[in-house]
Parts: sequence; structure tokens; C-alpha cells
Amino acid sequence: MDRFSLTSPRVYVPLGLVVILFIIPLMVRDPIFLHLMILIFFYAYLTLSWNIVGGFAGQVSLGHTAFTGIGAYTSTLLFIQLGLTPWIGMFAGAFLAALMAVIIGYPCFKLRGAYFALSTIGFLEAFRIVVENSNEVFGIPIKGAQGMEVPLRGDSLLYFQFLDKEPYYYIILIMMFIALYVTYRISKSKFGYYLLAIKNDLEAAESLGVNIAQSKLKAAAISGFLTGIGGTFYAQLILFIDPANIIGAYLAFEIVFIAVIGGRGTLLGPILGSFLLIPVSELTRVYLGGTYFGVHLIVFGTILIVVMLFLPRGINDSVLKVYHWVIEKLERKGSHALEGVASR
Amino acid sequence: MEMLLQAFINGILMGSVYGLTALGLTLIFGVMKVINFAHGSCLMVGMFASYWLVTLTGIDPYLGLIVVVPFCFVFGYLIQDSLISPVFKREKGVREPFGVLLLTSGLWLVLDNLALLLFGANFRSIQTPYSALSYQIGDILINGPRLYAFIGTMAGAYLFHLFLKKTVMGQAIRATGQDRDVAGLMGVNVYRIYSVAFGIGIAITGLVGGLLTPFYYVHPTVGYVFDIKAFVIVVLGGLGSIPGALLGGIIIGLIESVVAQFLTATWTAAITYVIFLAVLFLKPEGILGLKGEW
Amino acid sequence: MALLEIKSLNKNFGGLRAVIDFDLSIQKGEIVGLIGPNGAGKSTVFNLITGVYPPDSGHILFNGDPIVNHKPYETCLKGIGRAFQVVKPFPDMTVLENTMVGAFSRVEGAGKAKAKAIEVLDFVKLTPKRNFMAKTLTIADKKRLELARALATDPSLLLLDEVMAGLNPKETEDTIALIREIRERGITLFIIEHVMRVIMSLSDRIAIIHHGSKIAEGVPKEVAQDERVIKAYLGEAYVFTRN
Repeated sequence: MDRFSLTSPRVYVPLGLVVILFIIPLMVRDPIFLHLMILIFFYAYLTLSWNIVGGFAGQVSLGHTAFTGIGAYTSTLLFIQLGLTPWIGMFAGAFLAALMAVIIGYPCFKLRGAYFALSTIGFLEAFRIVVENSNEVFGIPIKGAQGMEVPLRGDSLLYFQFLDKEPYYYIILIMMFIALYVTYRISKSKFGYYLLAIKNDLEAAESLGVNIAQSKLKAAAISGFLTGIGGTFYAQLILFIDPANIIGAYLAFEIVFIAVIGGRGTLLGPILGSFLLIPVSELTRVYLGGTYFGVHLIVFGTILIVVMLFLPRGINDSVLKVYHWVIEKLERKGSHALEGVASR
Repeated sequence: MEMLLQAFINGILMGSVYGLTALGLTLIFGVMKVINFAHGSCLMVGMFASYWLVTLTGIDPYLGLIVVVPFCFVFGYLIQDSLISPVFKREKGVREPFGVLLLTSGLWLVLDNLALLLFGANFRSIQTPYSALSYQIGDILINGPRLYAFIGTMAGAYLFHLFLKKTVMGQAIRATGQDRDVAGLMGVNVYRIYSVAFGIGIAITGLVGGLLTPFYYVHPTVGYVFDIKAFVIVVLGGLGSIPGALLGGIIIGLIESVVAQFLTATWTAAITYVIFLAVLFLKPEGILGLKGEW
Repeated sequence: MALLEIKSLNKNFGGLRAVIDFDLSIQKGEIVGLIGPNGAGKSTVFNLITGVYPPDSGHILFNGDPIVNHKPYETCLKGIGRAFQVVKPFPDMTVLENTMVGAFSRVEGAGKAKAKAIEVLDFVKLTPKRNFMAKTLTIADKKRLELARALATDPSLLLLDEVMAGLNPKETEDTIALIREIRERGITLFIIEHVMRVIMSLSDRIAIIHHGSKIAEGVPKEVAQDERVIKAYLGEAYVFTRN
């Protein structure tokens, strides 16, 4: 059977899944459900971006929301002050986030292991506190801890704002696939091999010609860029940004948890982790939340503990095993069917 | 001028509390090279234990320490034994063991939010006959419970120091911390030591918690603030260094209360982070510290 | 012009003088051995050459090019490869992927790197274990992998740090043969060894380092009979016969 033919389960199953993801909004109209899907894709996107630094290169950053913050604030301020559409502001924000990633990375990457993680938290917290306490920066109001509203434009493709959920759904879904593609290409490239080598053994990597600093900083820049775009998406989705959320430690930790539970350093891990955790977390929040804010975090934390104890590499390997088993079953059924036809 | 002196005194009093919290953390760091992100949450558990003990039995909070501290020891011991050890064992050869860091992060989330769920988000405090008591030296007022906390932390630190130096268990802990493989070869049950050390680290936070309840508010997220400060202090004072933890604590306490005279509280916090980062980058061993191996 | 020229190299660690006024010249095509008691400074010399840390004073010229302030990745790209004393495979990568990392220093593109890696692995006879995870290998194979990775960077000078340690006699023989084949490929070798038989039979010249200083240098036969060497290293009146 030709590997790339549409009748091969190896092709039609993943293709089918992708198609389903794209046609869901046409079949299910419930905005709450769509919002949930949007969140799943959004967290997956953020985690895929994080994964380049935290998974491939093995540098566990606990302060990645500094970049969502820069992205969100930059595009929003450009929108408010200059009327610049967030579609363009998004890239400005992403470039600034990439720049900040390199600036922060330069001293931080010299630290190893847990010291590195702590330093990323230090930067994040310092950044957030500064923003929280600044009512304006260079004369431009940013309203500190209060947060800023994104000016309403109603339903406007030009200004990246929509009244319905569907456009947001498709945008973030495409973003997620782009992030997946980027990480896929990296994993197959010299850069990806170098990151993996750095993660496995720094000294050996260097003796083989790997420029450690350059590789780490490159990873940080790419990751920061993508994460910054995520920040703008969030701003346009919620139409309100404030330091506690967009530069929040909780969100930064949630990304890491999703990556770890999904499978740090794997391609699909971030997506799998998000598909597992976000529905659980949202459902907990919706049905048990209410006065008990933070219940979903108990669930998050417990799942993380369980995973660390029993499935430290995350669910990626187990899920793939099941997936391959299903594929093989389908292949066998397929070939039986063909035999049946051929023998007539 | 008096304001400054008052702030200075308060800074030292509070700083000693931070220092003792950091001491528990640095012990765990130093012996097991483990980052316990749930340290602040354990402090919160200690505070709630003290709170409920006092509220339900009317016992004096300082007397209550007799129950709270052992309770926290057991709590810590069990956490290490059942949750952390398995992950730790698995990561024995790994160069950068993040498993424990992540596990304790999960624990932090669970403990804090479980407390929120069970106890609600109200700020509580306990009232004792001496809550408002103040001693007066010249124009300086020294709040009673804060002073007792200071005395308590200093006493606790000293007792702990004696324990490490003079008892067999203390020496075993130090040996394991310095070279776990050799200690193991010498008949030390390394994992039991870890559990004991962790238990002691948490027991110390229990002590801090019990000393805090007479004058500090009790709330499920109270741990977070202390947690961050403890990490800053441990880095400042040096990984594994006990005098470093106390000294670092007092420095942070001083910065907080003296700088707060001139800047808002949140800018003070930002300064704390800046110092934290400066130490991390310029002198990762800390002011007094041994070189941490990461 | 010598391939590697070391002049008056000095390195102190705190109060410890690890390398003192070390001179050595290595010609293209040679196999030069470096021996000395434990702690004499041998690995330090390697670290200074590859750039793990800079010397306090002295020169190192590679092909006439001063390399003293280079970082390890730069010396690798210039053509100096290294196999470590304590093997450092990339544990969570396959043997092939490990070698590809080395290959990437010379070629672009995963396809070309893979082809190059396959060729190198074939040369060191690790082909059957190509898709094994590096962490599952035996010590002997890990040492092979270490060699393969370094070879994949197309070095002109290869530094081998105790590659025989921990090998049984058969593995040692195989490795000796492999080293000879490496030399035949045109690669110059600078070898640290403790196994006397090996270094004496492989080396064209040997330098002896003791407490950081070079105390003797010459062809194996000379060195084996040098009084200073015998006293410092080989022990009392240890008479050595060449294989």
C-alpha cells in the first residue's frame, strides 16, 4: 500500500483529526464550547512556543509570561496611541519580546539548573511589579495594576476584533499549527540537534563545535517572538489586559505544567497536555468554582504530582503508543478488506 | 531619626523570622539539593495548625508550639518519604533534576488552593492577651509578639545549630549533604536522612508559623510572600549556609522596613528582586555561601 | 611548521600550580603520548588546548594560529577534536544522532549530516548499534561513540583522554588498531594514557608531566630508561621492554 495514499490509516487518521478540528465550529455553535476550544489551542500555542527553550534546549523558564506581557502591551498601546491595527502591532510586540528574551537570556543562561529557573522568576516578578506600579511610561499611560481596555471596534477583521467566537477559533487554531510546524522544522534541523545536545550534555556539545550561547539565545528569541504574538491574541480575545494576568506567575507555571504533563521536549506533548488539562481545569472552574476560586488549580497540581510520580516523561509516549496501536489495527483491517476484494 | 531607628528595629525583628524560614529552606537545599517550591505553603500549614489549635483549645500559641512543631515534622517527613523520594531516586544520575522542583510546585498549588477551599479566603488572626503589648525603650516601641518571635527564631536557630553539630543524626545529615555516596557507603540510610532533614526543615517552618500567628494574619496564600523572600534570602546568604540564611533574612528585613520609609511597598519588593538577580549573576555563592553545584 | 605548538604554558588554580612552563611541539601525522601520575596536569593541558579555560600565560599555536583565547567550540571548528576521559555521550539521543551533532559542525542539512555520521560509525564499527539510545551502551561502546563523534568533526588533531580506561584486553587491542587506522586517515593524535603498554607501542614520541612540569620527552625507549621518569612515575627500577 502506498504510504501517502489516502486509503492508508497513517494518512487519513491524522488528516481526519485535523479536518475535524477545522469543521467543529460549523457543527457546534455553543459559544462556551468554542471558547473552551479556543483556550485549549491558546495554551497549546503558548506551550509549543515555550517548548523550544524549555523542552528542546532543556532550559526550564518559569517566567515566560514576561513575553506575553510585552506582546499584549505593545500591540495594545500602539493601537490606543497610534490607531495601529493589532495585526501589525502584533509583530512589533513580538520583536520586542524576542529582544527582551535575548536580553534576559544573556545573563540567565549562564546559570545552571534551578538557579536559571529562579532567575527567570526573578525577572518576571520584577517586570510585573514595575508595570503594576507605573501609571505611565515615557508619558504613555499604561494604568498600572488597573489594566487597560482594548478599544472596541465591534466586528472588525482589520482591527483583529470579532463579536463571534468562530474567527478567534480559526485564528488560534492556525497559530497553533504554525507553532507546531516551526517546532517540527527545528527538531529536524541542525539547530534542533544542537539544542538537544545542549540539553543532554553542555560540555560535550561545546567540544563538538556547538556555540552554546548563540544557540540558547536563538532559541530564546524564537520562543519569545512566538509567545509575544500569543500575548496579542489574548489581548484581542479578552479585550482587557492587566499585569496580574498577562504577566502572571500562575500562567507562567501553567505553561510549564502543561509542557511537563504533555511531554517536555516532544513535538505533540504541548498539544496533548493542553487537551488534557484545560478541559479539566475549565470544567472544574465552571462547576466547582464559583466561590471556591482556584479549585481547578488543585486539580492541576494533583495531576502534576501524579504525573511526576508515575509518568515523568509525560503522557506523550503513552498516547502515541495507543495511537500507533489503533493505526495498526486499522491497517490490518484495511489489508483484510483488500484481500477480500482481490480474492473475488 | 527615631522613625528610622524604629524601622531599623522592626526590620531586624521581622528579618529574623524571614531568616528562620530561609533556614529551613537552605537546609533542604543544602542536604538534598532540592528546591522546595512548597516551602511557603508548608509555612501556611504550620500557621493554620497553630491557628486552629489555639482557636479550638484556647491554648497559648507559644505553648501550642509543642504540638505544632512535631506535627510539621511528621508532615514534612511524610511528604518527602511518599512523594519526593520516588522522584528523587529516579533522577539520581540526572544532571539537572527538575522533577522535584515541578513536584513541589504541584504541591504548592494543591496546598494553597485546598486551604482556600477548606478555610475560605478570609484573613484571620488570633488574639492573645499580649497581642497589643509593647515594650518601650526611649521613644522606640517594640511590639511584644514580634520580640518573642525574634527570640524564638534565634533560639530555634541556635538549637538547630547544636543539633547539627552535636547529635549523631545531625552529623549524619551534614555528612549526607556533603557527599551522599560516601555517606551511603558508611552505613547511612541516605533516604531516611533525607526524610528526616526534610521533616526538620518543615518543622522549622512550623516553628516560624507558630511564632507568626500572634501578630501576623493567617490566610491560605500567606505562604507565597514568605516563599519568594525565602528564596531570595537563600540565594543572598548562600546555598546551604545557616548563618547566611539568618544574615540574609535580617538584610531583607532591614531593606523592607527601612527602604519602605522612602518608597512604596511594591517598589521595595522590586528592589528585593533586583538584589536577588544581582546576587544570582554576580556572586551566585551568596554573601557567605558555599558554591552551589548545579 | 608544527601542527600544534605549545610554549611556556602556565595555569594556576587558586594556589595550585597545575601546569608550569609547559612546552611541546606536535608535528602533523605524529602520535604523541602524554603520561604522568594522577593529578600531574594532563587533562589540564587538554583543557587549555581546547579552550575550556584560558592559561595564565603562554602560547598555543595551531597551524601557526594562536588559539589561546578561543572557546571550545571555536577550537573544534578550527580542527581540534576531543574524546573525554569520563565519557559524555548524549544519553537521550541515539548513537547516530550523537554522531550527527559532530557532523553538523562541517556540513549543513540533516541529510548530509546523517550520511557523514553513518560513514564515521562504519569506520569505528558501531554500525549495528546505530539506533540504540546512547545511555544503553556498554562502556566500551560509549568510548567508541566518543571517538566517532569527535571524528565526525573532521579534526586534524585529535586529543584522546584515557580512551583505554576500563576496557578489557580484547577491547584494548581493538582500540589500538582503530587508533592506528585514524592516523592512517591523516589525523594527528595527542594521547593521554595510563596503560603503559598501549602508549609505549602507539606513540612516536612521549612527554612526561609531573606536578605540572614536563620532566622528560623523547621516543618511548628513551623515556622508559630515563631515570627521572622511572623515579617519578614508573617506580623503582622498572625495566620496560617495547612490545
